[in-house]
Amino acid sequence: METCFDVKNIDLFYGEKQALKNVNMEIYKNCVTAFIGPSGCGKSTFIRCLNRMNDLIEGCKVEGEIIKDGLDIYSPKQDIVDLRTRVGMVFQKPNPFPMSIYDNIAYGPRCQGLKDKKKLDEIVMTSLKQVALYDEVHDRLGESAIGLSGGQQQRLCIARCIAMSPEVILMDEPTSALDPISTSKIEDLCLELKKDYTIVIVTHNMQQAARISDYTAFFLMGEVVEMDKTDTIFSHPSDKRTENYITGRFG
Amino acid sequence: MNRLVKDNILKGITYVASALSVIVLAAILWYLVSNGLSLISGDLITGDYYATTENAAISPDYSYTEMETQEYSGKGYYSKKWGIALEDITTAHNDEEISVVYVDPNSPFTHMNSLVAGEDGMELSLSSGSAVQNIYYEDQNGETVFLSRVQMKDAENTIKTLEEAEGIVSINYESIGGGIRGSIFATLYLILISLLISLPIGIASAIYLHEYATKNKINSLIRQGIDTLTGVPSIVYGLMGVTVLFPVTQLVGATSTSILLGGLTLAIMLLPTIIRSTEEALIVVPKSLRDGSLSLGATKSQTIFKVVLPCAVNGILTGVLLGIGRVIGESAALVYTTSTVISDNPSILSQGTSLSLMIWSIMSGEQPNYELASAISLIILVIVFAINIIVKIIGKRLAKSFV
Ligand SMILES: Nc1ncnc2c1ncn2[C@@H]1O[C@H](COP(=O)(O)OP(=O)(O)OP(=O)(O)O)[C@@H](O)[C@H]1O
Ligand SMILES: [Mg+2]
Repeated sequence: METCFDVKNIDLFYGEKQALKNVNMEIYKNCVTAFIGPSGCGKSTFIRCLNRMNDLIEGCKVEGEIIKDGLDIYSPKQDIVDLRTRVGMVFQKPNPFPMSIYDNIAYGPRCQGLKDKKKLDEIVMTSLKQVALYDEVHDRLGESAIGLSGGQQQRLCIARCIAMSPEVILMDEPTSALDPISTSKIEDLCLELKKDYTIVIVTHNMQQAARISDYTAFFLMGEVVEMDKTDTIFSHPSDKRTENYITGRFG
Repeated sequence: MNRLVKDNILKGITYVASALSVIVLAAILWYLVSNGLSLISGDLITGDYYATTENAAISPDYSYTEMETQEYSGKGYYSKKWGIALEDITTAHNDEEISVVYVDPNSPFTHMNSLVAGEDGMELSLSSGSAVQNIYYEDQNGETVFLSRVQMKDAENTIKTLEEAEGIVSINYESIGGGIRGSIFATLYLILISLLISLPIGIASAIYLHEYATKNKINSLIRQGIDTLTGVPSIVYGLMGVTVLFPVTQLVGATSTSILLGGLTLAIMLLPTIIRSTEEALIVVPKSLRDGSLSLGATKSQTIFKVVLPCAVNGILTGVLLGIGRVIGESAALVYTTSTVISDNPSILSQGTSLSLMIWSIMSGEQPNYELASAISLIILVIVFAINIIVKIIGKRLAKSFV
């Protein structure tokens, strides 16, 4: 199996406070990797390391290496904007831009300089179809995305991300604000998308992690306690703390 | 029980306070309307402020027998013989005048030559709105008689006298004046110049301060400076305008204080307001939108121009409105920079006054003209109201084009 990210000895500090301690892991291509762990253990912090969104936080310092395609993404040679076009992100709360549905999806490609209307139309349509939103909104592409329901907005955000045709999609609790039906739609979507993309997902929902992920990493207080195939983690965790967390005796 | 009483007292105080402010506002408006409304007319808005005097003789080519004047039944007193109707008016300058309300196309008063030296008999035609000052006419004995403004008394008497005359020799008349067209244009120029300069600079500074500037000594000093500028009295800006900016306007050809100088001064005065309100607007744009844009591989400037600024449009427009309000209401900063000289045809490089300063000019003369001042105040209110609506419409358009 091909490695997508090779994470080596990542330490992260918010000012003086250490939020990640010596994180090591491999994330494989065309797999769904889930991060679980109690609140405040550093899942979001870590997933944001993968597309360097932490750079935007003042006082945040990262040490260690994350190798992607042979290059450390934290090396000065890495073009951050280019990295983010290859590693897309979906946030916990849907954050569509206050523009039309069409413009939301065309936003990324347009920022890359794509102006060809036909190509944009094509991208918007295929992206919407991939997230199964096309049938719901095809007749109101020109209307504001703010008018969509929460679940539709989140799928739109995924479509917006897909429109960039990234290699990796990072999702930070993408379903925590959604109802069960929208949630299951997005879960199905993940399974569908992993054929073409590498997916990293943060979730508080054990069933969700078990249902959709191939690999699971358990975080605790800034450290990765255990990372393994999801089946193994959920049936024979090697660490007592993982077992306690999964069985709900903890956290 | 006690708490209820306290609650009611507090509620009462807020009622009284708001009622008081409404009453004061209504009183001011009532004063302005009762004093100024009667003066407001198309002539006031489009007319010249300064009266011009003309002295003209009936053209020797004019033949009384060939020209047939028509009947007229409008207002004023009409003389069919001379094809002219007069009425009594009170001008914006508070003078009693005999004004021309109608001139027949075949009247001798439409076939005149100027007697003013240097105009070389230029053809003139009396137009309605002019105030008649004196007339030379021929009586039955063929003698030329001088009818002075005092002898004319009023419109009715003048017409009666003229009906008995045998011919008209010459007439001395004035345009009414008191118009505020020049000052309206000057005000609009000031708004345009100051916004054209302060908006781009202000918005760019706000973007720098909020989006790019890191927290360090220099930037907090800049911020402190901007906040301090907000509180600087406008007369100080005016002084700075004449001393610092005047040489700048000289470069483009200004020889004295000018509207351009006033506009530049106001632009600087508006900067803190624009920067502040733009910054407030940028602050409320959610971080999640910036994150969303950046995570899609947009650069920082793309994020700012495509997502952040459009979201901040309404806040920025609020700043624009505040700025326009300040320009319209400003007087102290303009006294030294645009001058207080009322100009009928102001240009950017000439002197002129804004409407507010015009009020000051009118009221600081020997005879304060309350009526004209009230009329101008009313017009200022209307302009402010109109600009408010226009800016709101622009805001809605911009917001819509973004959706
Ligand atoms: N911008 C920040 N500045 C300082 N400390 C932060 C910042 N963001 C997160 N932290 C701290 O880092 C630690 C990890 O936070 P993080 O958001 O990664 O947790 P999480 O695992 O995503 O939790 P949750 O499940 O609640 O989302 C927490 O102790 C948090 O307080
Ligand atoms: Mg989190």
